[in-house]
Amino acid sequence: MNIYNILALILLLIIIFLFRIRRHLTKAINLKFPENPDPDWIVDIFHPWYHHLNKVIGLISVTLLTLLILGGYGFWYSFKIGNQQGYQPDQPIKFSHQQHAGLYKMDCRYCHSVAEKSKNASIPSPGTCMNCHKYVQATAKYNGQISPEIKKIYTAVGWDPDSQKYLYAPKELKWVRIHNLPDLAYFNHSQHVKVGKVTCQTCHGQVQTMKVVSQFSTLQMAWCLDCHRTSNVDVAGNKYYEEIHKRLKNGEKWTEEQNGGTECGKCHY
Amino acid sequence: MSNNQYWKGLEELNKSPEFLQNKSNEFMEGIPMNEAFKEETYELSSTRRDFLKYFGFTVSSAAILAACNKAPIRNVIPYTFKPAEVVPGVANWYSSTCNACSAGCGTIVKVREGRPVKVEGNPDNKINNGALCAVGHAELLSLYDKARYEGPLKNKTKIEITAIDKEVGKALDEINASNGTIVVLSSTINSPSTLASISEFAKKYPTTKHIQYEEFSSYALIAANEKSFGKAILPGYRFDKANIIVSFGADFLGTWVSPVQFTQQYTAGRKAIKGMSRHIQFETNLSITGSNADVRIPITPSQEGVYLLNLYNKIAASTGAPSLPVSALEGPVNMIDNTAKELLANRGKSLVVSGSNAIDIQLLVNAINVALGNIDSTIDFINYSKQKSSNDQEMEQFVTDLSDGKISAVIVYGSNPSYNYYNAAKFKEGLKKTKLTVSLATSHNETSDDCTYLMPDHHSFESWNDHEAMAGQYSLTQPTIHPIFNTRQAQDSFLVWAGVNKEYYTFIKENWAANVQDLNFNAVVEKGYMASPPASPTVKFVPLVVESKVDLGSVASNLVRIDTENKGKLQVILYEKVGVRDGRMCNNPWLQELPDPISKVTWDNYVASSIVYASKNNLEDGHLVSLKGGNTNTEIPFLRQPGQANNTLSIAVGYGRPRYDKDGIAIETIGKNVYGMVSFADGAFCYHSYGASIEKAPGSYTLAQTQTHHTLEGRDHYRSTSLSKYTANPKILQKQVEVISLWEDRDYRGHKWVMAVDLNACTGCGSCVVACNNENNVPVVGRDQVMRGREMHWMRIDRYFTFNQFSENGSADRYRADLYNDLKVDSNNDGEANEKITDEAFENVSVGFQPMMCQHCGHAPCESVCPVLATTHSGEGLNQMTYNRCIGTKYCANNCPYKVRRFNWYRFNDHDKFDFHFNNDLGKMVINPDVTVRTRGVMEKCSFCIQRIQDSKLLAKRENRAVVDGDVKTACQQTCPAGAIVFGDINDTQSDVHKLFNNERSYEVLEEIGVQPSVKYMGKIRNTFDEKA
Repeated sequence: MNIYNILALILLLIIIFLFRIRRHLTKAINLKFPENPDPDWIVDIFHPWYHHLNKVIGLISVTLLTLLILGGYGFWYSFKIGNQQGYQPDQPIKFSHQQHAGLYKMDCRYCHSVAEKSKNASIPSPGTCMNCHKYVQATAKYNGQISPEIKKIYTAVGWDPDSQKYLYAPKELKWVRIHNLPDLAYFNHSQHVKVGKVTCQTCHGQVQTMKVVSQFSTLQMAWCLDCHRTSNVDVAGNKYYEEIHKRLKNGEKWTEEQNGGTECGKCHY
Repeated sequence: MSNNQYWKGLEELNKSPEFLQNKSNEFMEGIPMNEAFKEETYELSSTRRDFLKYFGFTVSSAAILAACNKAPIRNVIPYTFKPAEVVPGVANWYSSTCNACSAGCGTIVKVREGRPVKVEGNPDNKINNGALCAVGHAELLSLYDKARYEGPLKNKTKIEITAIDKEVGKALDEINASNGTIVVLSSTINSPSTLASISEFAKKYPTTKHIQYEEFSSYALIAANEKSFGKAILPGYRFDKANIIVSFGADFLGTWVSPVQFTQQYTAGRKAIKGMSRHIQFETNLSITGSNADVRIPITPSQEGVYLLNLYNKIAASTGAPSLPVSALEGPVNMIDNTAKELLANRGKSLVVSGSNAIDIQLLVNAINVALGNIDSTIDFINYSKQKSSNDQEMEQFVTDLSDGKISAVIVYGSNPSYNYYNAAKFKEGLKKTKLTVSLATSHNETSDDCTYLMPDHHSFESWNDHEAMAGQYSLTQPTIHPIFNTRQAQDSFLVWAGVNKEYYTFIKENWAANVQDLNFNAVVEKGYMASPPASPTVKFVPLVVESKVDLGSVASNLVRIDTENKGKLQVILYEKVGVRDGRMCNNPWLQELPDPISKVTWDNYVASSIVYASKNNLEDGHLVSLKGGNTNTEIPFLRQPGQANNTLSIAVGYGRPRYDKDGIAIETIGKNVYGMVSFADGAFCYHSYGASIEKAPGSYTLAQTQTHHTLEGRDHYRSTSLSKYTANPKILQKQVEVISLWEDRDYRGHKWVMAVDLNACTGCGSCVVACNNENNVPVVGRDQVMRGREMHWMRIDRYFTFNQFSENGSADRYRADLYNDLKVDSNNDGEANEKITDEAFENVSVGFQPMMCQHCGHAPCESVCPVLATTHSGEGLNQMTYNRCIGTKYCANNCPYKVRRFNWYRFNDHDKFDFHFNNDLGKMVINPDVTVRTRGVMEKCSFCIQRIQDSKLLAKRENRAVVDGDVKTACQQTCPAGAIVFGDINDTQSDVHKLFNNERSYEVLEEIGVQPSVKYMGKIRNTFDEKA
């Protein structure tokens, strides 16, 4: 529920209040000057059925309608709880994937180096940045000065650009985590990247076009399962799958689900 | 079918009212309804207004929660420069050595992002070959103990390391100038470089004396060997080479010298049923070694010498040696006859050991082994052991000198006499007369409290060290974590005070370069182990002629005297428990909650009494008794223990030390300290106490026993038979059952994970339980919760008793089988207890151990009753548990025939009440990051280590190969010293587990109910006398 919804609700309440106040004032005026009554336009408009309405039925229907709307909203909303699709936090360094991965066509795995070995893809250490940024300082853009963003790397690693030496104590760099899987779900990058040959973009979107990275997928279980139900296991060339495939489904096409990829215990333990 | 009728405990046998009431309940204590209802009227204690209040609160909090849907910002902090060997999310394994005791087992330490999270045995180390005991596993948790010292102290106030060095150095110099004696007091040190560093210290301060002191000593072994053979060493024992093993009270499978090594040797000689060894145990208290014996003869402590003398005479008679004067045996004479006959038939292939710390006893054992020709065959003096090297006499002399004020400085390292010396008051008094007292302890201990200076040692996981546990077998300890606190390794302290300007790591390297041949230091660091065989292994050790050196006649008269003097007295034996051992790790929740293999008691020690003694003195379980003996005067709970020799008691040492909370403050004392009952007799510490007194004290105390929590209704879960019956009919353990299934059989064509458990190998040591706790983040719940039946262990070891029936050759009445033949233990029949059982019979029981964990049933009863599909079946035969789906109905646990599902009653990992290391940041470091930490209100159970299965499969996929047998090992299987657990894919026809499933001893527990368990047990075979001799 964002601020606009709340504002709308407050405004609605104010309008209803104002209407009530106006009616009371009208009534008061009419009592004081009965000879020249001000027309109660609501009564005028909703007459003749307004006064014949059974108040009990009215109350029940209004309550039911309200509950239905709120309930529907709640039901719809419950699917979004914990869903941070589109989450785009500010990062301590304004690092642009568009520039590095898009413009300079750097391989994702140059920085996220353990995606093929580990459950994590890993955030690169600032030491990795220094491989290039010892020399690349973007001075042309900043009138001969070192780019302030690159300077932040230097602070993190304790590099002194003048003497070209690591002179100072390193300072931790606190990146903000964008993709947050709950602790109850086990996910392994190497299974998907190395074994399943899934491209990074399948889950993370066109990162090479993003200046500031945001969460592309919902990262919800349904999203995982949709893929596991439809994608085929690439048997050829992997002796593990060849052996299991022989046992399970000799020759047939074979989705990840048929390999047990939607069983609870594959991710939850 | 099994021949023996087993029972779980006395309450089942006697059908106590509590037992009958509890056995039908799944949870010992029902749902706490009384808290929700008012007790008298059973009206709801909350009113309608309360309901509205809570309702309103819930609705509004839901709205607030929905409004703050944004998760809190989570930061990722990368390494500044990533170390090349660290891959975030992937564990590194470092080889090291276990320092929990001095047996020197090799370990490999699993390190995730710089913190050790699990220890396993090092397969390359030839001492333990990849196995590890419960204590070795639990040592890891003591690394993350809040009771550790966080920095140096002087008179309990903080001080800088430099200041301590200056002050200690000055004091030492002064003492040295005045020629005062300096004593370095340590426990057994098997590290050559540590000894060298102490020698360096002694070089600078020549009046230094190094004394090694073990509170639970094996000094008599060494002293007797010096007398018998002229070698003051502990030999290597080879239980695998012995056809006949005779042990007098040596708990070599549980606590004696090097239990993991001995368990491996022992089971190696017993796993192949054909030609399995025979094991005869004479003992007072029921140990796990005695439980595994084929023949177990209960004896009183004083009788041990007389039995040994009779055995010696029988053997001497056939070898022509003169016999020794001895009083006649009371009791089963035929057992000694049989034992002697067996031993003589297996000369050179038998082994006699004794756990006694009486030098006379060990001299006699040496004489028997020499007569049998066992030296150099089952007793190895070339590849001898350095696992124990304490000296009781030096310790005794030191304490006398100390109280006489003859000692000027004491440096205590890895030893704690203020707690465990039998006359602690004398030691403490003496310490006050000493000019300089320094403690090098790691965590809070009693002796440090009495010392002026404390220079805390690194924990062994933070240290470098080397070990030579067996002669010529070297291993290294390497640090696997950066020191957590402001501590310094003890050896470094010695070197600094000795004025040696070297780090201990460099010192080890130089020491090795000078003294160890064939050295490639880095290769040893990598492997963790190196065998550099002793100089001349071909030269046989020729034992000295025993008679000429040792006057066996006086030994005999002394042993007979001990027996006659103490015959009428109350005899108490002190023993070590498999978990807590000598008490060094008393503040270790994993060890405290590991149920004692025999009594199944957690968190306490107690007086274990024979049933005869209890009935005679009108004592019952849960009574408090006041115990007086030696320097001990305490009140301690009482427990009747089947298997305890009649009219004797046994008490475990190692208790009576405080437990610490999450702020490192002592909160309560666990059990009672009975080290005061130790005495010093005939040149060694004596753990037999004669003439102690016991009286019923007012009040009662309930022991937290897990024993009867999971009643199995007297069915034949545990099957055993004797070797001859098995040889005659190998299918004797099978049962023909016809099962009609309501369900369609599942089709497992990919992997199908199954487990085979060999009951003939399992010794009940409990190593698997602690390994499982570590691997799967199983919480510790504490004494109070255990009493309510809420222990969380995914794996338990069921212990069953049966009365012995080995006595067809017996002459003594108490060994006659016909006394017990009519015994039926049928808990379905709620009748009176069987009146035929006499109290005397209870000393003569045999024991079976059965590891019990989720059986991963094909037709799992739990799955069909879960209303929310939280427990489901996988295509690989696993019964999966999805915690985040579970709503805690507990239907599954009610419907589980094996009672292996455990319910989380609290948030054990965070709750302030559960101070068992997990509820603070330091203790949480031990948590396995690949396994969910379960919260309150969900059910959990053994997962067959699914994280390890997934990991091995993924590794195979990445390496482009099929999974091969042995890739996947569950934590319990990996650690089992007996190799009793085998896990694997039954669809792989070459796998070990496939072969074992078709073994004729294999059976399913409760096969008649047709749930198709994935675990099969292989029945126990006992090589008993009546069948073969």
